[in-house]
Amino acid sequence: MSESDSSPKIQTTIETGDEASRDAPLDARDTVIETRDLNVYYGDEQALDGVSMEIFEHDVTALIGPSGCGKSTFLRCINRMNDMIEVCRVEGDVEFGGKNVYDDDVDPVALRRKIGIVFQKPNPFPKSIRDNVAYGLKIQGYEGDVDERVEESLKAAALWDEVKDQLDSSGLDLSGGQQQRLCIARAIAPDPEVILMDEPTSALDPVAASKIEDLIDDLAEEYTVIIVTHNMQQAARISDRTAVFLTGGRLVEYDDTTKIFEDPEEQRVEDYITGKFG
Amino acid sequence: MATEDSTGDQLGRSAALRLQQLKGQLFEVALVAATLVGIVSLLVLFAYISVDAFRPGTASPAWFLVYLGTLVAPTAAFTLYARRRPAVRTANAVAFAAVFGGLLLSAVTYAVVDALSPYDVFIYGVFASLPPMLVLAYDRTTEGQAYTGPLILVSILVGIGVAAVVDGPISGPLGIAAEWIMYFGLVTVPAALLVGTLTASRRGRRTGAVAGGAVAAGGLAVAGASIATGANASLLVVLFSAFVVPTGYVVRRSVRTNPAGRVGLAGPFVLLGGALLGAALVERFGIETPDTFLTPTLVLESWDGLTASNAGVYPQIVGSIIIVGFMAVLAFPVGIGAAIYLEEYAPNSGFRGRLATLLEVNISNLAGVPSVVYGLLGLALFRRTLGFGTGIVVSASGTLGLLILPIVIVSTQEALRSVPDDLRQGSYGMGASRWQTLREVVLPEAIPGTLTGTILALARAIGETAPLVIIAVATTTYSPPSGLFSSATALPLQIFAASANAKPEFRHGVVPAAAVVLLTLMLLMNATAIVIRNKYGRET
Amino acid sequence: MSNESDSGVGSLQRSGFVVRKERLYGRLIAASAGLTILVTVGIILALSGRALSFWSQISPIAFFTGTNWSPVIANSYGVLPLISGTLIVTIFSALIALPIGLAAAIYLSEYASDTARSILKPALEILAGVPTVIYGYMALVYVTPLIDGFLPISVQLVPAGVPILPEFTLVMPSLGTFNALSASVVVGIMIIPMVSSISEDALSAVPDSLRQGGYGLGSTKFDVSTRIVVPSATSGIVASYVLAISRAIGETMAVTMAMGMSPQMPYFPNVLRNLAESSQTITAAMVQIAGADSYGSGPTYEAMFALGMTLFAITLIMNVLAELVRRRFREEY
Repeated sequence: MSESDSSPKIQTTIETGDEASRDAPLDARDTVIETRDLNVYYGDEQALDGVSMEIFEHDVTALIGPSGCGKSTFLRCINRMNDMIEVCRVEGDVEFGGKNVYDDDVDPVALRRKIGIVFQKPNPFPKSIRDNVAYGLKIQGYEGDVDERVEESLKAAALWDEVKDQLDSSGLDLSGGQQQRLCIARAIAPDPEVILMDEPTSALDPVAASKIEDLIDDLAEEYTVIIVTHNMQQAARISDRTAVFLTGGRLVEYDDTTKIFEDPEEQRVEDYITGKFG
Repeated sequence: MATEDSTGDQLGRSAALRLQQLKGQLFEVALVAATLVGIVSLLVLFAYISVDAFRPGTASPAWFLVYLGTLVAPTAAFTLYARRRPAVRTANAVAFAAVFGGLLLSAVTYAVVDALSPYDVFIYGVFASLPPMLVLAYDRTTEGQAYTGPLILVSILVGIGVAAVVDGPISGPLGIAAEWIMYFGLVTVPAALLVGTLTASRRGRRTGAVAGGAVAAGGLAVAGASIATGANASLLVVLFSAFVVPTGYVVRRSVRTNPAGRVGLAGPFVLLGGALLGAALVERFGIETPDTFLTPTLVLESWDGLTASNAGVYPQIVGSIIIVGFMAVLAFPVGIGAAIYLEEYAPNSGFRGRLATLLEVNISNLAGVPSVVYGLLGLALFRRTLGFGTGIVVSASGTLGLLILPIVIVSTQEALRSVPDDLRQGSYGMGASRWQTLREVVLPEAIPGTLTGTILALARAIGETAPLVIIAVATTTYSPPSGLFSSATALPLQIFAASANAKPEFRHGVVPAAAVVLLTLMLLMNATAIVIRNKYGRET
Repeated sequence: MSNESDSGVGSLQRSGFVVRKERLYGRLIAASAGLTILVTVGIILALSGRALSFWSQISPIAFFTGTNWSPVIANSYGVLPLISGTLIVTIFSALIALPIGLAAAIYLSEYASDTARSILKPALEILAGVPTVIYGYMALVYVTPLIDGFLPISVQLVPAGVPILPEFTLVMPSLGTFNALSASVVVGIMIIPMVSSISEDALSAVPDSLRQGGYGLGSTKFDVSTRIVVPSATSGIVASYVLAISRAIGETMAVTMAMGMSPQMPYFPNVLRNLAESSQTITAAMVQIAGADSYGSGPTYEAMFALGMTLFAITLIMNVLAELVRRRFREEY
């Protein structure tokens, strides 16, 4: 993927994308996102309760917990997708690169260009495959070679070989799993720093899901990935660190994935993981 | 409800149950009858109108036999043949749309431009289209794209303003040039550009340039030939550019993309050929034709209140088209903008949320205000406040525009609402702004729905009479409006005025014939809207 | 956008120009929406100025209680005959359209196959799309002679010799050239789709679980439709009725052309005579004034605005009423 030479901006990230960092021990990685005492309310209902956590570069961070525990809310707070919900109110800090993203001078549109998101249900635009991937480039006024970037992104999303002969056909003609990989290609095309994934495999069959899981592992080479899942095996398989949210929007435990799954501190977490509730 | 006998009895069909079933069947029959009664009564009344207008009784049986043989039977046979083969059916539909759409487009373009003066339209056309094209060209060569959108808008407005100033001084010297050159510039050049760009996007720049050049050369050739033979060069240039060229393009495309359906392309030509052959036979054998009121005179001449056979509604038709066309220019941007605000921008809560609710309620009330009241509004606004003259195009267009505004808003809102929220989320998640999301994702998806709604609004406007009566639009003018500030009349007004004429050749002749013209216009629009709705409506 | 890669801080903003441009677009769009308020304000201003000037010359009491409308000849501005004319058309067109429209709505929502619906719905919409001037022409030229062929009809309701009651015969006389009956018929036809489409929306909004519940208890389709679905959708149906009636009140061309221009107080006790003869609606009176020579000034001209104001007030109240009823029905599910 690094054979291209036309887009210096992306090039730097990809090449200095530091394989070293991915290989570095977990505790030696840099903080990318840090939340401090994050409270979120939907109207009168509290969805997150004092969540403070750090997310590290090139980590795959899994957020797990029962339905309604606030893990998706937390994810959508990071790139301010919650702004779309009028009754949603956020208190506390979400720092991204040392800057609170809820500061007045932060434009959520600019923020989302650095923190991409992939949704639960694949939602390709009713455009051609090429235009889907090029969408982010277009809206950001990308000046490099768009076709090349489309190819790179589709390759990075492990979709290129399947669609390279039908780039002009509609993204809606693809299968569910392909559509989701298209959405991932679309998200990485503008080269964000962080990719948020909101249960990206829950609408897919097991084969398609496992392809996405493999892909996530590759993506972590270049990006920081935060994934919400309620599939605990999935979290155990793909993540470096796992955060467990339990009812009431509280972050109960956050640690290395192996630690969480083998020897959690909290009894409730152990109960949840072993399937006693949730 | 049976009693507690043996269970087996209860599962059978007792007399009571059978009675109930009969009641249900009768009810269903009654419902079907009720659903149909309005439709059937209207069809019966349409039949009365058509018979009065066409007068089939006055034709000899031979006339019917000739057209049955040349027109009806071949067309019916061809349609039946096409029906069972999807590829042929598609090609047939495409060819029909191209041929009759092209003919209609040519006729309307020529009539409207002719009424408004080709020289003036040419000047305005050039000044309104060249500046935005220059802006676009500049945009291609540079990187600062942020300014392009607003600049295009501004350049069009400035261009029109400049045209208004220079129109007087320029149109004199321009008048030396032949009229057909204006039509060439107005119709052939855009057609050539369109064909060129479309071809270029599929088959490369060079082929595109050749195709565009061929269209322009063809236009010149047609003009030359018609001057040599003394035919109406302007009309033929328009027919070539807006009928022959698009039909040719569509036919070629269809042959390329849908080769299996090639036969279907013959559909419209079977129809037209049959009509011509029929006419030739009728002429050759001197067969008695119906003494119909649906004649070329009706659609090409102006009104004659004394002799029914000389009465035509050409100025009324062109007036209606110009009024409704300018109304669309005034009302659609505002209506679509308002709908976008209400669906995509307005918040649901807080002060501005309540404001949006107020707007919604207000719009639904406006939709229920009787059309005569809009007439009074138009009267007060255009006549008294703005001091416009009586019955001029802008007043009529403005009044009708206010009237259809709520219809446009509500149908556009529905179209926007049917765009799935997933797509918006996806776009926002990519870091698109609200405007970008709207332009790139939401609007393209909402276009078919919006188009349906706006066409229905046009159909409503073209039949509207009461507000025009109130603002004192003339019922009869003897020439089409020559500009936006000249007086005009509309087809429904002429029907209203003439229906008071009790002479049978008017009451049962010209008036139903004019009604047939109006109904045809309105049904064509409705059919177009329904076709668009069925084609694109259910995809999402 | 150039130094995007490292420090999150500087790059979390967009170019000021782009933001300002999009804000400008947003404002333009909001202004379009705001314009609709101006239309309402414009209507009220346009009507009230002239109407108030009229009512300062002719007292509102005389206007609203007068039984003679003869603006030109007798200089008399009593609106009751016009209201009577409007009511006659409204009532009889409603008698036609409300049951038929509801039946069509039940058929479309409960019985019709998808194919039937896809043909019948656009066909019904055409009924509302036909220009009203053509309805007026059809009523005048075709409907009146057609109906008149069956008339007159007389039915002796109370025969001679019945104690206490006077002898009474109900007579539907022959139709005049201009008459309320044919106007009512065409207005009825044109408002059918208003009833059927809004009612159908209301019927379709009834959740399927209610229908399933009905069938589960052994009800027939007839029972489910008439005893469960229709009652559940009452408020939507009522709203469609109110809107259709409001449309009939505001209808202009058809009644002007078919019903004529002779304002008339209603005939009693034989109400059918009202149908057979010419009268005039509020809207037709406005058209008559607009077409008259007195155009531009004078109390007659201003009377047009007073009539418009009256009409606007009536239809506004009905529309608000329908909206309130409809809102209730939206909350039900």
